[in-house]
Amino acid sequence: MALLEVNQLRKDFGGLRAVSDLSFRLEAGQILGLIGPNGAGKTTAFNLMAGFIPATSGEVRLDGENVVGLRPHAIVRRGIARTFQIVKPFRKLTVLENVTLAAFLREPVRARAAAAARSILALLDLAGKADCDASDLTLGQQKRLEIARCLATRPKLLFLDEPMGGLNPTEVEAACELVQKLSDSGITVILVEHHMRAIMKISDRVVVLHHGVKIADDAPADVVRNPAVVKAYLGEGAA
Amino acid sequence: MNNSAIGAAVARKGVFDSRLMGAAGALVLLLAPLAAPNPFFHHLLIMVLFSTLLGVAWNLLGGYAGQVSFGHAAFLGVGAYATMLLHLKLGWSPWLGLAAGGALATLIAVPIGLLCFRLRGPYFSLATLAVAEIVRLVALNWESLTAGPQGLLITQLPELTLFGHAVDWESKLPFYYIAALLALLAMGANHFIAQSRLGAYLLAVREDMDSAEAAGIDTVRTRVVALALSAALVGLAGGFYGLYFRYVDPDAVFSVALSVEMVFIAVVGGIATTGGPIVGAIFLVTISEVFRERFQSGHLIFYGLFMMLIVRYLPEGIWGKLRALLRLAVGR
Repeated sequence: MALLEVNQLRKDFGGLRAVSDLSFRLEAGQILGLIGPNGAGKTTAFNLMAGFIPATSGEVRLDGENVVGLRPHAIVRRGIARTFQIVKPFRKLTVLENVTLAAFLREPVRARAAAAARSILALLDLAGKADCDASDLTLGQQKRLEIARCLATRPKLLFLDEPMGGLNPTEVEAACELVQKLSDSGITVILVEHHMRAIMKISDRVVVLHHGVKIADDAPADVVRNPAVVKAYLGEGAA
Repeated sequence: MNNSAIGAAVARKGVFDSRLMGAAGALVLLLAPLAAPNPFFHHLLIMVLFSTLLGVAWNLLGGYAGQVSFGHAAFLGVGAYATMLLHLKLGWSPWLGLAAGGALATLIAVPIGLLCFRLRGPYFSLATLAVAEIVRLVALNWESLTAGPQGLLITQLPELTLFGHAVDWESKLPFYYIAALLALLAMGANHFIAQSRLGAYLLAVREDMDSAEAAGIDTVRTRVVALALSAALVGLAGGFYGLYFRYVDPDAVFSVALSVEMVFIAVVGGIATTGGPIVGAIFLVTISEVFRERFQSGHLIFYGLFMMLIVRYLPEGIWGKLRALLRLAVGR
């Protein structure tokens, strides 16, 4: 059985169909890239799968169990964690507190939650920043903090919404290594990203959305040669 | 031990070692009435402790969880009326009634929370204001139960013997110690909650609701729990109010002014701190009494001016600022 199975997922905003009958499956341990031009519905798809906006119809099965209709915190409890495209740390709390909060989900005793948080911070190279306020971090560090917060909830499946947006080339390189490392540790990853070179390098499979419709679902090397994909990105005649 | 050794010990243990602070606070509260054995001074102390209790309660929801309520008088009124009515109509012991007042305030807080927490930010605040007005109007018009604007009066409190002595209800002292006990209970609960998982969840809800959900926090349940705890303390305070003044009417215990007062106590003292409300209560009760004596109702002008100065220059509150300075001084 696939870890994640999305069936006919649909979202209408008034007359606009932001996500149109999206279906795909994801096996445990894979890295799936979700790409598409601006406004393709990638973030909406994330929000639907993580319960942040209600789906119009369709289902999202995690380990065979439908999670559509559950509130976000309940979906996190079942093992799906997500980051935000525009980072949303708890700005006035310290880095350690940010992660401890999330660790409380699996570990109600503060001392143990804080210990779990510290080891995750070390993994993400944020241990030295543990006592800083989250608002004092650089953008790259804040993006890692969001990932740290996700990891503290011990997810099976991790949704990363543009983890490389706004980062410099060195940071992008480090972010790629990090995603690879998370995957190696047994976490399944779905990645929305505009950074094509990065996504082609680390994804096992790529799903392409255009105007809310899935137009390709293939290995990275095949997706870049897919005429429909090239047309979506570059327009008529480019293919 | 010389001074520097004490200093080092304090720095090592932390000036804010909670057990030390708690024990010192309890000792001060025990001895405070002896400072001046006159009833007016005792009345002031009682009002400070009563206000502290309200401030702590409001702070749990408004300070820690960031859900600004302008309707907490509803819970005070429910607590006060429950205590009075259970005694007058059913003959319950007022002390049992006090607890029942707290319980009833908690009970009505849950549906109010589930209703109002569908709204966020200022819309939530406005909803609490509206709910409190509804409750006030019910109390005013349900004359068969509440006697409406006439209010309820307890002429005599039942006798109580403690350690072989009959408690003298005409003296202020027994009320002082009840208020002190309630305030200590509230601050203890506040301290405990702030250290716990619930305390962390309250801050998360205040900082960012979406991120809180993404961290696995049930933001609706967390807010309802915060409101229920807050309402329980305010309900107890209401019961105390009824017994201390032996008279309640809707304008006294359901007024918007009272709801706003609770906000002030917490803000002046320091949002989301355990010690803030007592500091806020001392300042506000003092200011209000000092200026009331000189200017009658003109004292509200000074009260308002003081509030503006605090909000403009000390947004972290008096205790919040003091604590930050102390921490800086000991290098923590």
